[in-house]
Amino acid sequence: MSGEEEENAAELKIGDEFLKAKCLMNCEVSLILEHKYEQLQQSSDDPMNQVSQVFEKSLQYVKRFSRYKNPDAVRQVREILARYQLAEFELCVLGNLCPETVEEAIAMVPSIKTRGRAQDDEAIEKMLNDLSLIKKFE
Amino acid sequence: MFFHIVLERNMQLHPRYFGRNLRDNLVAKLMKDVEGTCSGRHGFVVAVTGIENVGKGLIRDGTGFVTFPVKYQCVVFRPFKGEILEAVVTMMGFFAEAGPVQIFVSNHLIPDDMEFQSGDMPNYTTSDGSVKIQKDSEVRLKIIGTRVDATEIFCIGTIKDDFLGVINDPVAI
Repeated sequence: MSGEEEENAAELKIGDEFLKAKCLMNCEVSLILEHKYEQLQQSSDDPMNQVSQVFEKSLQYVKRFSRYKNPDAVRQVREILARYQLAEFELCVLGNLCPETVEEAIAMVPSIKTRGRAQDDEAIEKMLNDLSLIKKFE
Repeated sequence: MFFHIVLERNMQLHPRYFGRNLRDNLVAKLMKDVEGTCSGRHGFVVAVTGIENVGKGLIRDGTGFVTFPVKYQCVVFRPFKGEILEAVVTMMGFFAEAGPVQIFVSNHLIPDDMEFQSGDMPNYTTSDGSVKIQKDSEVRLKIIGTRVDATEIFCIGTIKDDFLGVINDPVAI
């Protein structure tokens, strides 16, 4: 494997292409895939036949593992996490796993403590509190 | 992890598709060709979400087919070593699935206090019976290796670290 030997998400070593790419949380992917599925339903009788197994499995997966179902909540989650100078990848892992404590958050995304603009514990705690508020009022 | 990226592909179109519906035909063929495929670099292409640009078509010598360079946006799923994600257990071993990707968690990477119980519903259980992993259990695991072959990416995972293992989320009922 060329150049992928040093790949390590824990250190945010995911390659330039993906570091700069738009990352999607499961709840966001859910909205996109459901929308696409509805479009297919409108234009054909048998949408299930038109989609690949990859699509089907991904749709089932994101529906099952979305922490936030409401599109407004999903938007809010991104807004809140965006305030903390996180990389896209870090933001999405946090949005997907919803850690409850600072310790858990650091275990899930070690790079938030190791990279240049490391977050201090207080900031991380505030961020997790803001996230849990959204869930409560969803 | 899911990403929204722009990919490029050279699409070959037979002259029978030229005419008013050229672009629609091109897009339809693109989706059929590309959705569901997998590469080591970009992962699984889950869905094409839009066309960014269709370049000028080039007629190929001798065949009459025309090649169009197409730039399109799509959702891809690309697992990374070191990434922590949630998955569904599909089979004892144990094997789990996260979207299109299969992950194998070997006995060595399951906490020592969990033992395998064979039977009708084979599972891994802690000695006090408080935690159980069986088919359809939801687990949080860390990917520690990926292998790419022609048509898919396969991962090896662990649940031996802190905060990994069965998800006991009361919300996920």
